[in-house]
Amino acid sequence: MNNYTFHWYQAFRAVPQMLGGAVVTLEVALLSMILGIGFAVLIAVGRGSQRAAIRGLATTWVEVARNTPALFQIYMAHFGLGAFGLHLSPFTALLAGITFNNAGYLAETFRGALRAIPPTQARAARSLGMGPVRAFTLIILPQMFRISFLPMTNQMVWAILMTSLGIVVGMNTDLAGVTQALNVKTFRTFEFFALAAIIYYLAAKTVTFGARLLAARLFRY
Amino acid sequence: MKTTYLAAASLVAVLTAQTAQADKLDDIIASGTLRCAVVLDFPPMGSRDADNNPIGFDVDYCNDLATALGVTAEIVETPFPDRIPALVSDRADVGVASTSDTLERAKTIGFSIPYFAFQMVVLTREDAGINDFDGQKGHTVGSVAGTYEGLQLEDNVKAWGAGEFRPYQNQADVFLALSQGQIDATVVTSTVASSIIATGQYPGFVMKGDAPYDIDYVSLIGLRNEYGFLNYLDLFVNQQVRTGRYQELYDKWIGGTAPTLSINGVYR
Amino acid sequence: MFNTALTLSDLGFMARGAAITLSITAIAVLFGTILGVIFGTLRTQISALAAAPLTFVLDVLRSVPLLIQLILANAFQSILGFGWQPFAVSCVVLSLYTSSYCAEIVRGGIEAVPMVTRRAARSLGLSWWQDLAHVVFPMALRVALPGWIGLTLGVMKDSALVLWLGIIELLRSSQILVTRLQEPLFILIVTGAIYFLISFPIARLGGRLEKRWREND
Repeated sequence: MNNYTFHWYQAFRAVPQMLGGAVVTLEVALLSMILGIGFAVLIAVGRGSQRAAIRGLATTWVEVARNTPALFQIYMAHFGLGAFGLHLSPFTALLAGITFNNAGYLAETFRGALRAIPPTQARAARSLGMGPVRAFTLIILPQMFRISFLPMTNQMVWAILMTSLGIVVGMNTDLAGVTQALNVKTFRTFEFFALAAIIYYLAAKTVTFGARLLAARLFRY
Repeated sequence: MKTTYLAAASLVAVLTAQTAQADKLDDIIASGTLRCAVVLDFPPMGSRDADNNPIGFDVDYCNDLATALGVTAEIVETPFPDRIPALVSDRADVGVASTSDTLERAKTIGFSIPYFAFQMVVLTREDAGINDFDGQKGHTVGSVAGTYEGLQLEDNVKAWGAGEFRPYQNQADVFLALSQGQIDATVVTSTVASSIIATGQYPGFVMKGDAPYDIDYVSLIGLRNEYGFLNYLDLFVNQQVRTGRYQELYDKWIGGTAPTLSINGVYR
Repeated sequence: MFNTALTLSDLGFMARGAAITLSITAIAVLFGTILGVIFGTLRTQISALAAAPLTFVLDVLRSVPLLIQLILANAFQSILGFGWQPFAVSCVVLSLYTSSYCAEIVRGGIEAVPMVTRRAARSLGLSWWQDLAHVVFPMALRVALPGWIGLTLGVMKDSALVLWLGIIELLRSSQILVTRLQEPLFILIVTGAIYFLISFPIARLGGRLEKRWREND
């Protein structure tokens, strides 16, 4: 031991503050998932589009999101877009970065799921008199979500983990940001980050468990 | 026979006692390398030249210290928030990194006597409409997380009850954010402000008055329990001033009269 | 925009950063895979109760942000006085991180091998080891390989986080250049392109393998 004495008392006193940060973390993760799913559906549909421009855009999004680090994407959202004079606050930049990442990964998941749904389903729906949009939203989409439920849960956990990267763009309200602010004031790195790790773990477990409960309710039959 | 045995035993005892007592100072001299934690996005204290090699006041200061110890210097680049972790995790032997000697930090690491002193100024853009320190009220401002000025500015923003404070992880990101308009002002040391304006990299940057903070005395840092080493650092800083090397380095990197490092009316 | 001050020597600087990224990735994937195969196999071969501690640790590694793991491990090794270099800390943390995901992939692969196949192998006189080595692993490999390639790419990208410990890898080297040259957008795009160039061909190869092997099923 390097003559290091743990100062746990100091760290425990900061737990309420850190839990406040965890709420922001969950908020960002949830928002990024909702937005990410929205974009991902558009991308997944766009990849099958007749128009080359839409197909190209959708493919570029997916490939860039999946082939560059999330940290890079968040840094780019803040400082890269900033060079255009487009100023995203740390919160928005973090949200934009994670949403971009989520959408890229989920779009691939959805594309796989769409392939797994027999094309006869769409034809059957259309022959029942549904329009193309109605058939997609009422028949195809629910099945797609059901098939991709597990990957979506995983993506939600990743979204929570990715929020920790917000500190590189000046985020100081989420769990990692709050922890780092406490750390730079006191330099009790181990104590504070150990508590943060426990909170992250519990948050991730809550999401996984909640998703399992939800799945049991939704997919009962 | 018995005497030989005793002598051997005491020799062993003396030898082991000496190895047990080998402290940081001995370790550095024995290893032949002095690893200095230096911040390299903080000109003129530390930056990189066109070949991406470290240069600056702190880099020269580290080299002087290494020369005094009779070893070679190795620069370990550390962002501001990582200076103290780098020391505690033994990635560096000493921090020559403009570290303000706060009491909160002294609970974790050891400080030498001050080796430099900063005056804080407001750095802003011409078009931001900020004319003095209080003009920052209501604006989005930023600084480096955990620095002397960063901690105070964050408190100011809280006290003003308007605007927003953004902590960045390194000085470069603060300047980048200021130039892009992500933030409207920052509080930095006058040396850094004048140096960054002098480079011409950021055309719109202007200094708008002093920040009403105490003079920021900065110290060399070492591990809290390494008294022998900290003692050596104190003497080294003293010698740098006494021999005129401090003024010489000040002339080289900043220019003018180097700030006084002693405080009237009290000992350190 | 293309009127840049980025010199050839700066590109060399970035290439050195990319080399660090690649070497950390290679080490982490090598050791992570070895550990992952051991952990994953263990989890399928011993009872759930006996594997519980291992399961828990692997779960923690997958549920705590990598950045936090790196910071914690670095602080912890310094408290214990190991005095490891950041590079070593990064490799250890990333290897364990990789192993936690790899174990899941291996487990998935092994569980995809039908029990009847294994019973058939055993009843043909194969020992437990022979069954594992000649029947289970070859079949599991086919299921696991696409996931493993994805994991390798993930680790390559996640390795960017080691910049927090002061390692000058690809992303950090680009930040240093941004500081000096003040061309954030251009340099960041170049960085993104380098990541893409490393990652994309491997991803494509993975996709092709997946497709080819599926046809054979």
